[in-house]
Amino acid sequence: MEVEKISGLKFHKKQDVAIVGAGMTTFKRRLNETGRELSYLAIKQALEEAGITIDDIEMVVMGSAPDTFDGLHMKGEYLLDGSGGSDRPYMRVFVGGGTGVFAPIAGYWHVASGLADVCLVVCEEKMSSSHPHPQSAFKYIWDPILDRPLSPNLIWIFALEMRRYMHVHNIKHEDIALVSVKNKGNALDHPCAQVAEKITVEDVLNSEPMALPVRRLDVSPPSDGAAALIMVAPHIARQLTDNPVWVTGVGWALDTTWWTNRDLYFPRYVAEAAKMAYRQAHINDPRKEIDVAEPYDPFDYKELHHMEGLGLAKKGEAPILTREGVTQRDGDLPTCPSGGLLGVGNPIAATMGVKACELYWQLAYRAGKRQVAKEVTTGVCQAWGDLMQVGTVMVMSNKR
Amino acid sequence: MIEKIVNPKELRHWDGRIELYWIYTSGKAGDEFFKKLMNEEKFLAAKCKKCGKVYFPPRIYCEKDFSETEFVEVSGEGCVRAFTVARLDAYEKPLEKPEIYAVIDIDGTDGCLIHLLGEVEPENVEIGMKVKPVLKPKNEREGKITDILYFKPL
Ligand SMILES: [Zn+2]
Repeated sequence: MEVEKISGLKFHKKQDVAIVGAGMTTFKRRLNETGRELSYLAIKQALEEAGITIDDIEMVVMGSAPDTFDGLHMKGEYLLDGSGGSDRPYMRVFVGGGTGVFAPIAGYWHVASGLADVCLVVCEEKMSSSHPHPQSAFKYIWDPILDRPLSPNLIWIFALEMRRYMHVHNIKHEDIALVSVKNKGNALDHPCAQVAEKITVEDVLNSEPMALPVRRLDVSPPSDGAAALIMVAPHIARQLTDNPVWVTGVGWALDTTWWTNRDLYFPRYVAEAAKMAYRQAHINDPRKEIDVAEPYDPFDYKELHHMEGLGLAKKGEAPILTREGVTQRDGDLPTCPSGGLLGVGNPIAATMGVKACELYWQLAYRAGKRQVAKEVTTGVCQAWGDLMQVGTVMVMSNKR
Repeated sequence: MIEKIVNPKELRHWDGRIELYWIYTSGKAGDEFFKKLMNEEKFLAAKCKKCGKVYFPPRIYCEKDFSETEFVEVSGEGCVRAFTVARLDAYEKPLEKPEIYAVIDIDGTDGCLIHLLGEVEPENVEIGMKVKPVLKPKNEREGKITDILYFKPL
């Protein structure tokens, strides 16, 4: 990747930030639990893993995507009591699908600034409330005058992007389908998975056409779920564990809202966010220095797109690495070892569970059956959202 | 002076409407609460196993210490903590009959419920007044908060 100087990035950190616990609920199409109950269940696990109680939590960051899914205006306030937010500083952040990594970035600000020594980050989404379909909510993200009269939906917007990506690099659908095969297969080892399955490239290519080239098995499902992370200052981390995982870099960036005026084939928003995070983490050659990656994979081509944005592959090279097995769990650059959104599920903000939480579990050697084969020190996770324009990136390392 | 809102339709304009609806679940604690109310005319609260705080309506967790809770039965009776007499509806049209909304402290719990008061005239409502719930007939109940018609003075 071309390393450019980022002007104006000044950073004065008060203290380092460690992750010492994570938790997540099962991801399902429809759960009976309320969003508050889901948040509580995820937090309970994270607290237990960290070995602390809710009384130890000083501040809380809640991440949840648009209110339209849960059908509750000011969802952050509604979720507060199940989120451990009562009687303490609490804030909700959201950048659409990018929230799953943006919420931990906000948690990082809380601790790195010295405002808090112990910060809880919790993400929740209950998409099943929204009808006629969770997708229906996306009809209202478009410009009401230019786009909406044409009745666009997200799937065909992604189909345009996927087509452009395939065209520019001469990529075959077969190569893209390998991502879906890999991630749904990886998800077989995830206890929270919604659509884990052993499938083949043919299954993907023969699945129901949605908006070509996008077919049913190219896409992750809508889900309900929640996830939580505990972020602490170094002196707290030392008391709790011998093996904390350090947040070494954070970055976020937005591309223009005029999505039609973008390249489409390359996610500049991810590249900019990655540049910021890598600079902070002193990473000069991500392909060599990153051991494990959790790029955002709501669609199979998106994992490839985002790998290229993250500098883990050259432009157009990600499908080749995938075909060569480099991104398998036992490969040289294990990518989405969690099973990702494609296999575990896509409860928008709560995908923190398969991005930031999974990266923490991998680097803490707590990923169980999902633990990648190679020795790992440094990893990157990333999410993407808003009007397909935001990139959120976090770099972690088990060495300080 | 306040500038009057002009008719935006005098401008070139586009109409929009958000056509969504939602199907909510009442969750683990909510399901138990409403089933009990509908089928047995009984009221459930939830007691924190650690600090003893009693939540009404019930929750599966204690908001303060995040411990688990256990369900306990309560009478559903309580007393008026605060009330208002509504004379306009949500569209600012005068109501035929004023409606009395009250926050009711539920006996034996640390929780309250907002609901209507009935069988009482607005001028006779007092803070601290003891009230009890009046339910719909069993065959009309649906497991909803509106299965309680109103609270009436004891
Ligand atoms: Zn308690």
